[in-house]
Amino acid sequence: MKRQLPLLIVLVVGIFAAAAFLIPHPIVRSVDEVFRNDVLRIIAAFSLVLGVGSILRHHFIKIKRKAAHWPFSYITIVALFISAIIGLLGGIDPNRPGILPTQVGGFSFHIQTLFSNIMVPLAATMFALLAFFMASAAYRAFRARNFEATLLLAAAFILMLGAVPLTRIVIPPLPDFAEWILAVPNTAAKRGIGFGVSLGIFATSLKILLGIERGWLGGGGS
Amino acid sequence: MTASDKTRSGFWDRLQRIDRRWVFLVIWLVVMLPLIFPFGIKPKAMPPVSRLFSYIDTMPEEKALAISIDYTPDTQAELHPMTIALLRHAFATGRRVGMLSTQVYGLGLGEEALRQVASEFNEKATTHEDSVINGEDYVFWGWSTPFLTVMLGMGERITNVFPVDYYGVTTESLPITPHIKNFNDIGIVVSIAGSSTPLSWVAYAQTQFGIRIGCGTTAVSAADYYTYLNSGQFTGMLAGMRGAAEYEQLLADKLAAAGSPLSLRRKATEAMSSQTAAHLAIIVFIVIGNIGYFVTRRGKQ
Repeated sequence: MKRQLPLLIVLVVGIFAAAAFLIPHPIVRSVDEVFRNDVLRIIAAFSLVLGVGSILRHHFIKIKRKAAHWPFSYITIVALFISAIIGLLGGIDPNRPGILPTQVGGFSFHIQTLFSNIMVPLAATMFALLAFFMASAAYRAFRARNFEATLLLAAAFILMLGAVPLTRIVIPPLPDFAEWILAVPNTAAKRGIGFGVSLGIFATSLKILLGIERGWLGGGGS
Repeated sequence: MTASDKTRSGFWDRLQRIDRRWVFLVIWLVVMLPLIFPFGIKPKAMPPVSRLFSYIDTMPEEKALAISIDYTPDTQAELHPMTIALLRHAFATGRRVGMLSTQVYGLGLGEEALRQVASEFNEKATTHEDSVINGEDYVFWGWSTPFLTVMLGMGERITNVFPVDYYGVTTESLPITPHIKNFNDIGIVVSIAGSSTPLSWVAYAQTQFGIRIGCGTTAVSAADYYTYLNSGQFTGMLAGMRGAAEYEQLLADKLAAAGSPLSLRRKATEAMSSQTAAHLAIIVFIVIGNIGYFVTRRGKQ
């Protein structure tokens, strides 16, 4: 029963969700609406609780066992609670204050202030580092070792040059040629890959709905 | 092998094993210097950008523009100028705007973009009609989960999906709500994303309700989306910083032709000088690397 019940729920709900997408009958639509607007959201709310519980458990265990880099776990937990409290009670910005005072003199720490001044620069910095590693990797590894690699190299050159406005002045047809590479050969290859992937997704979905693929239940599908 | 061949091969061999921090330094310089001393290049719009611009520009007056902030701060540098340009275009042409996010992080970015563009227009406004007012001219619906509920639910009734807006105001009470009830009142949804969310908009919202979808994406993801662009599932696409710069240029040309007093900072256009220099530097690196590779390989043979 422990295994049969989840399989039965997946079968019924999965087939109904797929059918509701295709059947425009009002009764089917209204049941589908309840599923989407209420049931899915309740499940999402549970997953939020589960997620917070899981991250706290993970970091408390790390601190308890003094695992590698355990002091950073304190930072994660403190940041989690501070941002949650400010986000829930502190208002969005100085124009929309909440019940928790989040301004001391000229210093404000509303959720938008925290987001714009901590989250945005940190995330942008991490992503910006990619440019340096990409340049270094291109210098060291991007070699015309064989015919396929040479084709790739030539396409990369054309697309990189086509992506800058200066090329239109120096080599006017190049940006249009770069656009053609993306619109024609690239699309042809992507369509082929897309059909393959879609058929794969369809087959895997069917296997899950019919209970043939049970890996999601845990225990490796045995 | 002659002595001069050995010396040449040794030079290229050393050049190939150069400390990567030199590469980092060069990239840093070619990104930073053009930001300080830009080239002043005027971008020319490619068909995917001009198609999106033309559609938004000419869609029926009563239709609203919906912008879905589906990106996070890591891709903000590349994608945020698109949001800004789209908002400016909508407000300059007097269109209603509905904004939402399928990412929690998108909330802060959307709020920032709305606040910036609204204040740009309100600073120049002399009458109530010229002003851009929250709840009247635009609405920030905020975030809801899961995205499937949002995309399908918005086709039926937006207030069911977003009972309150981002600021906690009941959406039913907003003056803009009778004008944007569901997808029938929206001309196009533009999903700006660093992930595959625009494809979900096509799969759910467009397939079910026939709504037009536009897309703004990072340059690296753009190749994946040409399939949808060619099939007409995407009305238009802004690809990377170049796409944003081209849209900014189209908007600047339109405003200049209309004699608009607005003089707006164009961040994507400013960044194009840096991008140009960085692309050229990477090409030079690859060329040097390949010359070194062939010279050393010949030396070994």
